[in-house]
Amino acid sequence: MRFLGRAAGALVLLGLLGGCMLPPQPATEGGKDVFNLYLLVLGLALIVFVGVEGFILYAVVRYRRKPGDDVLPEQLHGNTTVEIIWTAIPTVIVFILFTFSMITLGEVDAHQDPGATIEVEGFQWQWTFNYEEGVTIRGEPGKPPVMAVPVGEPVRLILKSLDVNHSWYVPQFLIKRDLIDFGDARGPNELEFTVTEEGTYSGQCAEFCGTGHADMTFVVQAMSRADYDAYIAALVAGETPVPSGGSAECGTTISIVAANTQFDIDSFEVPAGTPFCIEFENQDAIQHNVAILDNGTPLFEGEFLNEPGTITYQVPALEAGDYQFLCQAHPTTMVGDVTVTQ
Amino acid sequence: MTAGAAEIRPAGDDHLVETHQTGMPTVMVGMLLFIASEVMFFGGLFATYFNARASVAPEPWEPPPGGELDMALAGVLTAILISSSFTMQFGVWAIRRGDTGKLKMWTGITLVLGLLFLAGQLYDYSQLGFGIADGIFGTVFYTLTGFHGAHVFGGAVGLTIILARAMQGQFSGRNHVAVEAVSIYWHFVDVVWIAVFSTIYLLR
Amino acid sequence: MATTTLEPRSGTIRRSWVIEWLTTVDHKKIGVLYIVNSFLFFFAAGILALVIRSELAVPGMQFLDHDTYNQAFTMHGTIMLFLFIIPALSGFANYIVPLQLGAPDMAFPRINALSFWLLPLGGILIFSGYLFGGAAAEGWTGYSPLTADRFSPGVGTDLWIIGLALVGTASILGAVNSITTIFKMRAPGMTLFRMPIFVWTVLVTAVLILLATPVLTAGLIALFIDRNYGGSFFDPSVGGNPILWQHIFWFFGHPEVYIVILPAMGVVSEVLPVFSRKPLFGYKAFVFATIAIGLLSFSVWAHHMFTTGAVFLPFFSFMTALIAIPTGIKMFNWLGTLYRGKLMLTTAMLFALGFIAMFLIGGISGVMLASPPIDFHVQDTYFVVAHLHYVFFGGSVFGVFAATYYWFPKMSGRKLNEPLGKVHFWIHFIGFNLAFFPMHQLGLSGMPRRIADYSPDAGWTVLNLASTVGAFMIAVSIIPFLINVVASLINGEPAGDDPWEGNTLEWATTSPPPPYNFDRLPPIHSERPLFFLTHGHGHAVARDEDLDETHEAQA
Repeated sequence: MRFLGRAAGALVLLGLLGGCMLPPQPATEGGKDVFNLYLLVLGLALIVFVGVEGFILYAVVRYRRKPGDDVLPEQLHGNTTVEIIWTAIPTVIVFILFTFSMITLGEVDAHQDPGATIEVEGFQWQWTFNYEEGVTIRGEPGKPPVMAVPVGEPVRLILKSLDVNHSWYVPQFLIKRDLIDFGDARGPNELEFTVTEEGTYSGQCAEFCGTGHADMTFVVQAMSRADYDAYIAALVAGETPVPSGGSAECGTTISIVAANTQFDIDSFEVPAGTPFCIEFENQDAIQHNVAILDNGTPLFEGEFLNEPGTITYQVPALEAGDYQFLCQAHPTTMVGDVTVTQ
Repeated sequence: MTAGAAEIRPAGDDHLVETHQTGMPTVMVGMLLFIASEVMFFGGLFATYFNARASVAPEPWEPPPGGELDMALAGVLTAILISSSFTMQFGVWAIRRGDTGKLKMWTGITLVLGLLFLAGQLYDYSQLGFGIADGIFGTVFYTLTGFHGAHVFGGAVGLTIILARAMQGQFSGRNHVAVEAVSIYWHFVDVVWIAVFSTIYLLR
Repeated sequence: MATTTLEPRSGTIRRSWVIEWLTTVDHKKIGVLYIVNSFLFFFAAGILALVIRSELAVPGMQFLDHDTYNQAFTMHGTIMLFLFIIPALSGFANYIVPLQLGAPDMAFPRINALSFWLLPLGGILIFSGYLFGGAAAEGWTGYSPLTADRFSPGVGTDLWIIGLALVGTASILGAVNSITTIFKMRAPGMTLFRMPIFVWTVLVTAVLILLATPVLTAGLIALFIDRNYGGSFFDPSVGGNPILWQHIFWFFGHPEVYIVILPAMGVVSEVLPVFSRKPLFGYKAFVFATIAIGLLSFSVWAHHMFTTGAVFLPFFSFMTALIAIPTGIKMFNWLGTLYRGKLMLTTAMLFALGFIAMFLIGGISGVMLASPPIDFHVQDTYFVVAHLHYVFFGGSVFGVFAATYYWFPKMSGRKLNEPLGKVHFWIHFIGFNLAFFPMHQLGLSGMPRRIADYSPDAGWTVLNLASTVGAFMIAVSIIPFLINVVASLINGEPAGDDPWEGNTLEWATTSPPPPYNFDRLPPIHSERPLFFLTHGHGHAVARDEDLDETHEAQA
């Protein structure tokens, strides 16, 4: 009995260590199909696991030889019927698993008209993303490159290795594909997926490629088609766009402090056509905010801070021109100029 | 458990443990197994050859510029090696009859033919006009023919040993398993050459 | 049971102990050399594992740089597979197979010695990379083009290639020896279907070694030519094909993993019946399942290459899934052996039961990996690392320990201490699961393998830390094991010929056996010749061909 208790404790520990034994919640259409297939296989696996491990534990307790018992047990050599059954059942299970695998494979590897085609170049130890519009994103050490993709449309990647084998892997998409230089034998690998939720997804190289393999990370930024077009347009125009869709990244950041019912700066300058951030710190115990107006028409109204604290405003892209910024609670005493340059 | 039953009682007469020399001699079994592993080794090398040839398409599969395969010489080498298999077998038949003298003669001739093959191969290498580092054709050509040549050399070493042992009178009609073993190795080396020749020179 | 004196009966030429062991051609001494040598490499590769786990316990590089880390996991994998597990099981095969066959030695004793001595030579060459600018650092799988000289200059990789070629040659010669011995040197009355199961697994393993290892040798030679003579096999920049390396490597590499597991399954199939006091359930099915696994193992290699986009997925996925069937048959046969037995939970039995429990988990993750869509997610992640450790470690290494506890008395004439053995087992078992079970989740959540470091934001830290604790527990468990071995060799209880009431012929001679193995052999009418001898001929003698019937036990 103590043995069973120990065994049960071990199983509980095993369960905890296994986490939930699930992949991440999928963010692509193909990923959902893979997740469901995995659930089917996991279910079958759990049945087999409980059955076999359970029998072992049972046998160890039930069939343990009692001290001094020298009588031989029944010398069973086999049982043809049982052996046929336990050959047939796994065969059926194997066929079921194979069939569902192939169905899911068809869904995952489907080819449709892509909404965006991006050429991915992997090399020791960084990524380059080349867009059809002529834009190139290259990562730098410490700054993984960002791949913008539209949500809800198939995205096709062309995966080229410039040196050794690499692999493009985003865990939340439940997919990876290798980057291999096949030489003249055949063209590069392609991968297609359709992201279903906006968001930021991290990825990294999943084929050992040498010293810097662990550092070869990247980010996929999935956004609405409109935002995606704006993002690409900004890139084409030569700016560094701030990705929308929940990212905390800021491009240009302006710091403004409100103290004693005064702003600490009376003007600032930002580039046109690019979203930017204002880091606003309120040091007073009364409410302040920052708003940007074009001759009285608000272009941006930041949230009020009613007590001391800081907040980061994400201001959308503005057209070139001269505007005012002010605190809407104290518009005459807390005011300044904004110059948005070409 | 029956007490004292651990005393070992052989059934019937005393079973002394002895190796069975029924069926194929042990050394021959070992040699055949070794040859099986060599077949897989050359299989791996042939795989690289065929893969290279397939991947070069649609370009023609040919030596690098300036190089050329000497078909005639290769044909002569093939004839030499095939003849040497015949001479080897004559030697085996001789010793099976108990004729040590003929064994020595045929083994000697086989050895000479084998060395002639090697010399011819080296001469061919010197005339080819390309090396192992000259692209995929050069690499697979030299690797395949080179390792075959190395195996011919190994066979020549084996032939030398059995020739020496024959000269010391170690073989008889009933006791010459080493000769049989070396002979099937030699035939194997010949078969591999036929495969190499057909693949490189005939199939192209 | 009879206790015989430990001195050999025949007069032997007196030689110094050192010369004796260096020049021996006796399969028993060579077997011991194999086993001792393997354990030394086990400790070396185990230390590398502790280095790896210490580095990965928390984010940030603790004490290594990326390159040293990469050398560490490359050496760890290479040494564990080629210089520990396979030689350890070969060592037991070397020692036990001739005895189980009733033979006086292996077919080719001198080649047997050569096969052994190539191992420490090969291992030293592989390790010597550390002395010459860095050991090989491209993973034990050595993919091209990473192994090309332009990406991995330095002689460490070349030494790795040469060392592996020597080790491979040793294996091939050993396989020739094993197969010849099994076919030519069985005692009178021992038909193929009366051979012990361990011998069957060694036979199939040897055939796999014979046919698969030469392909690796060819690949290694090709790689060496690429690196040193300007060859164009694998480097795409000079017309080569990197996928060709993967095909060649895995054509060997997959049979390789069955080479690693089959003898361990054989050990389990010896230990389970003895300590259940009933025969192996389904002997013939087990034999056919083993042969089926051997054959199928040549048809699945590209399941290691699903994410390359360059293989025909349905065929390889199907064949891989098929292997689950004969493997399942074996599992059920083992369970059937336990069923209604009278189980004696010796340490050997605990390791055998542990094998079944752990190999099941490894087999389940393997079936998951056989599905290409699932594989696309978890390939090259810690899910694979979990899988391979459950089958290699939870499987084969547990089998090695079961073999050690089972056959140590036969080899040394002394029993190992059972309570200490159980301490070893439990710390080992718990540590093993703590080390490797979390890796399933790590892989499922996306942690790639072969990374020297990971981000603190990834959420992988806790499981990595747990895994490291488990790894150190495994290391700690070796302490009672070593103490047990040393103390028992010096002062252990004398074992006698047959301490376990075994079924097979190795227990029909002294412990250790005399140099010529047997004075006399019992009559052989079944796969359990000693059982029938021990329990009397009043017990129904099994007809050779028909072992399906249930026999009435006559006490």
